[in-house]
Amino acid sequence: MSESFNLNVNGVDYPVNVEQDRNLLSVIRGEVGLTGTKEGCDDCECGACMVLLDGQPVNSCSYLAVQAQGRAITTIEGVMDGEVMHPLQRNILEEGGVQCGFCTPGMILSAHALLQRNDAPSEEEVRIGLSGNLCRCTGYTKIVAAVQRTAVELRG
Amino acid sequence: MSFTIARTVDEALAALAAGARPIAGGTDLVVGARHGKAALPTNLVAIDRLDELKSVVTTNDGVSIGALVTHHDIEMHPLLGSSYAGLADGSALVGSPSTRHIGTLGGNIMNASPAMDTGAPLAVMRAEVELRSVRGSRRVPIEELWTAPGKTSAAPDELCVAVHIPAPGARSNSAYVRLEYRRAMEIAVVGAAAFVALNDDGTIAALRVGLTAVSPKIFTGEFVGQIGRSVADAAAVAAQVSSEQATPISDVRASDTYRRHTVGVMARRAVEAAARRAAGETIAIPVNRAIGIGAAS
Amino acid sequence: MTATIKKQSKTPARRFVRADGPDKVTGSGRYAADMSLTGALAAKFRYAQVSHARITKLDVTAARAMPGVFAVLTADDVPDVRFGGMVQDRTLFARDVVRFEGEIVAAVAAVDADTAQRAVDAIVFEYSPLPVVNDVVSALEPGTQLVHEDWASYTAPGVMVRKGNDASYASIARGDVDKALAEADFVVKSHYESDGCHAAPIEPRAVVAQWEGNKVTIWTSTQVPFDARAGVCETLELPNNRVRIIVPHLGGGFGGKCGFHYEAHIAALARVAKRPVKLVFSRREEFLAPDKRREGIVYDFETGVKADGTITARKARLVIDNGAYTSDAGFFSQLAAMHALGPYKIPNVFAEASLAYTNHQPSGSVRAPTAPQTCWALESHIDEVANKIGMDPVAFRKLNAVDTGVEGPSGQTYGEIGVQQCIDAATSAAGYGQPLPDDEAIGVAIGWWPTFASASGAYIKLDGDGSGQIITGAQECGTGAVMTLRQLAADELGMQPEDFELVYQDTSAAPYDMGATGSQTLFNNGRAVIAAAGQIADQLRELAANKLEAAAADIVLADGMAHVAGSPDRGVAITKLAATAAGGELLIGHGSGPPPPAATATGSTCVGDIGMTAWRAPQFSCHAVRVRLDRDTGVVRVLRVSTAHDSGTIINQVGAQGQVEGGVMMGIGQALTEGTQYDDQGNQRNAALLEYKLQTCADAPPIDVQFIEIYTPDAGPHGAKSLAEAPNVATAAAIGNAIAKLVGSPVRRLPMTAERVWGAMQS
Repeated sequence: MSESFNLNVNGVDYPVNVEQDRNLLSVIRGEVGLTGTKEGCDDCECGACMVLLDGQPVNSCSYLAVQAQGRAITTIEGVMDGEVMHPLQRNILEEGGVQCGFCTPGMILSAHALLQRNDAPSEEEVRIGLSGNLCRCTGYTKIVAAVQRTAVELRG
Repeated sequence: MSFTIARTVDEALAALAAGARPIAGGTDLVVGARHGKAALPTNLVAIDRLDELKSVVTTNDGVSIGALVTHHDIEMHPLLGSSYAGLADGSALVGSPSTRHIGTLGGNIMNASPAMDTGAPLAVMRAEVELRSVRGSRRVPIEELWTAPGKTSAAPDELCVAVHIPAPGARSNSAYVRLEYRRAMEIAVVGAAAFVALNDDGTIAALRVGLTAVSPKIFTGEFVGQIGRSVADAAAVAAQVSSEQATPISDVRASDTYRRHTVGVMARRAVEAAARRAAGETIAIPVNRAIGIGAAS
Repeated sequence: MTATIKKQSKTPARRFVRADGPDKVTGSGRYAADMSLTGALAAKFRYAQVSHARITKLDVTAARAMPGVFAVLTADDVPDVRFGGMVQDRTLFARDVVRFEGEIVAAVAAVDADTAQRAVDAIVFEYSPLPVVNDVVSALEPGTQLVHEDWASYTAPGVMVRKGNDASYASIARGDVDKALAEADFVVKSHYESDGCHAAPIEPRAVVAQWEGNKVTIWTSTQVPFDARAGVCETLELPNNRVRIIVPHLGGGFGGKCGFHYEAHIAALARVAKRPVKLVFSRREEFLAPDKRREGIVYDFETGVKADGTITARKARLVIDNGAYTSDAGFFSQLAAMHALGPYKIPNVFAEASLAYTNHQPSGSVRAPTAPQTCWALESHIDEVANKIGMDPVAFRKLNAVDTGVEGPSGQTYGEIGVQQCIDAATSAAGYGQPLPDDEAIGVAIGWWPTFASASGAYIKLDGDGSGQIITGAQECGTGAVMTLRQLAADELGMQPEDFELVYQDTSAAPYDMGATGSQTLFNNGRAVIAAAGQIADQLRELAANKLEAAAADIVLADGMAHVAGSPDRGVAITKLAATAAGGELLIGHGSGPPPPAATATGSTCVGDIGMTAWRAPQFSCHAVRVRLDRDTGVVRVLRVSTAHDSGTIINQVGAQGQVEGGVMMGIGQALTEGTQYDDQGNQRNAALLEYKLQTCADAPPIDVQFIEIYTPDAGPHGAKSLAEAPNVATAAAIGNAIAKLVGSPVRRLPMTAERVWGAMQS
């Protein structure tokens, strides 16, 4: 059975009508039309589908879309401040933490959530905080460096 | 399929009485459905907004943890991290950071996986699960909750609303250790929890060990014979008995032989860590990443 | 820590920000699965789901009749064409026999994925099982079930040596190995086995095909667009100019997306359905179906050594798991034989390798095919030899490794190379020789890898506003190789990389390139871009010479200006020259750098010789890895990896570091947790990311990166070699040698899982 409801993505209410068993990932990509959120596996193992739900990181592949109604969803498209990149985006790029880029949106959202709850994470805390996001290209070194650099910048 | 969002526990119980199944974070349910383990139930009631089930409350005889308290909340909770440290060890190891943010304690224990990380620590602490339905409320010792992999003794209309853990008492604490091949994103190959109470002279006053992923259900053993003996001796006995009592399977993660050996190692380490905590030492949550092979270098 | 030991380099050190970066960090970049076309249908495949069987019935009538189903195809619906990289042993759809569980029996296009799946489920597929060839060694024994009864009738290059289940036999012989072994002071024999493993890019593949008239456009996640085009043209019998392959951003490949995969199936579905068709793989399909995964190998080594530590002889026998089809693996035998010899000066050698058909998923080029696992086995053996004569394994390597001007095991004499410097740099960074806690050890390994020369083309145009476009056939799979082309063009033209945009990954827009394979992009396309830029530079010099009343030969292009040499104030802006050109002869350059001369080996005789025994611009590396062992459980943790690489001149420092860091991380996975497990019927048991464990951020150790930069003549641009695959070669080997020190003997099977390490400690 399908259900009609509003999905609030990046501050915008999107009216959707979807089957109740649809996962949030497929609705964000297919109905809302934002493709920055990626599907890399289908069982919470890779983190490419990471979004923020009321600020908390969630694997959108394994979360029912209907359950997200009334909550604020942030995708990679909502991380920029207008035309200006978030420091995480700029730093991961400048540090060389982007290669194929497929894990990058999820990685940035996990890092974003981490810095929201811990503005001065140790390297170990960054590594654990990003451990749900698999990257096959970079070896993680430059991603971790970018998150640490961002934490310093945001603390001023 | 029908889907409703419960605003109150009573609404949720009414929905369950009408045949719905509860969904909290959905981490097990949705993944399980996509992998064909079990189809998504046709009637779902979302319970994730029931704020009354999201608190950790200190009671006269211990602590009550709402069923919707997340693993992240448990990991970060000062009281749970200090006095009920084995549970915090377990929650801190569950899945990924996102799973820990969305996954709840109630969901974890009601999923009844023998590989769950919170089960063994709760069992050695003799936790009770509060099940509520429109017919009333009851408490079940947690080891009696699990009946088989994925099966519980809860009736279909019963909702897990809280987990009650008795206060550990003086010079008592717990720890949970698991075997993992990576430092994150693991499922227990084997695991062990220990609850240790110490006498003033540092010998064992009480010892219980619970084992993860080595039998169809998580189970515990009480080591009465170790009372008055040294921690080292008790840990060695716990290791040996755990290996003997385990009935592990061989699968893609490990052979039965290796599981039988390593569950003993985990038991010994859990006893040692719990004893150190019982003696007043702070070992960071989780033990796996605080000491030993998984420690940050 | 990152350090560079520079010998000669023309390129300035420059902070490098990738051109595709903003797309990738903002989510605006499109990958193949992000493409949507009006009216597009969803594709699903019916897989064999059995490893070896004769098809007795295949009936798609019911599936075709289902509402919402637009096309159902089997082998009967496409041209009867056999294809394959070297051995043409494969068809688009199974004919008569299925040979591995992921083989495609039928394909469906329907209104949505659920409908397509229901149609797949409605296909009647019946079969009678055939004996499963599940063991790579017994596959070659007489009387074993043949995976391909008709192997002898398949088309293959005449130089290939094939027989029954051996799809490609190769040997390298030099000197008199038996005599040398008989005369050696010590002879050490070792046996090792390595399991297959996966490329596992984070992006599962996707393909979208749309016909307009008799032309088809295919958006696909391939590393090799021109190879994909060739596959479509061959199997659907179309000319090249009616098939256009476009690759949106590619979410990693590591070889797994080399070759030709599914583009033809989806194009064929779209042609019948008369609608666009889209395929998106699940992670499980990504594990099971592609004919690219790293090959398992069984190794036997025998090395003769003098008491003073000089290696005198090496015998090696390797059996490589080809899987059910040969894919692009035909060259693996000779390449693996080279890796079984290693970068050592050995006067007497005999190395042979067979590529055995089995009923496993086919093997194919995954990041340095055959190299990391053979390096692991060989370097474990080298440590065993060093231990036998009581010599420090690093000193033993220094004594026996090849060097500048020295003849290698296949008879190639090397120009200036940095293998000895690599050993010194990596071991020094690792603190090799210093005391360690008793549960820690440092293992060391050296590796090598060829560079691959190929035809490759690019155009450059400079428009009237002075902005440039590089239109290249090269494919970016994440390494940054294509991104670096901007820097090469800018350096030739005295401009900035940001002055250029890239047009790439479109076979109808750009000239041929081999693709993101063989680490060849910068090596070959870099030379093409420099040649193309050089043509524009000549045009600019002519224009400037006219304006400045000077000889063209005296014009220098620098900092956005064309000026007379020695007179920086006598200049004109390149943008002005571009504006002038826009009204006359346009600024268009094209390049196709001719390959550098081939290398030669002398004094060795080779059977099944496909030209892999002498390597142009060979790359060398040394990895030193510090590990900690939990002796109670066998769990190993990698604490630090210190690397040094000779890949010639490094053009893009940040990108190069990223290649080493990523290659090392993949090597750690291969060493410890990544290995395919098969059941007794040849089916994969761990085709999911929970059970096939990639390394996480929490597992990643600090990685030291050092480059021994040697300007290499007859190589890539500015004396560069290649890089992307080389860093994956030596890591697992170094980890293995560290573990062996702690355990007291090598763990003889890769991956060295905790249980296997524990098992080795018990025996």
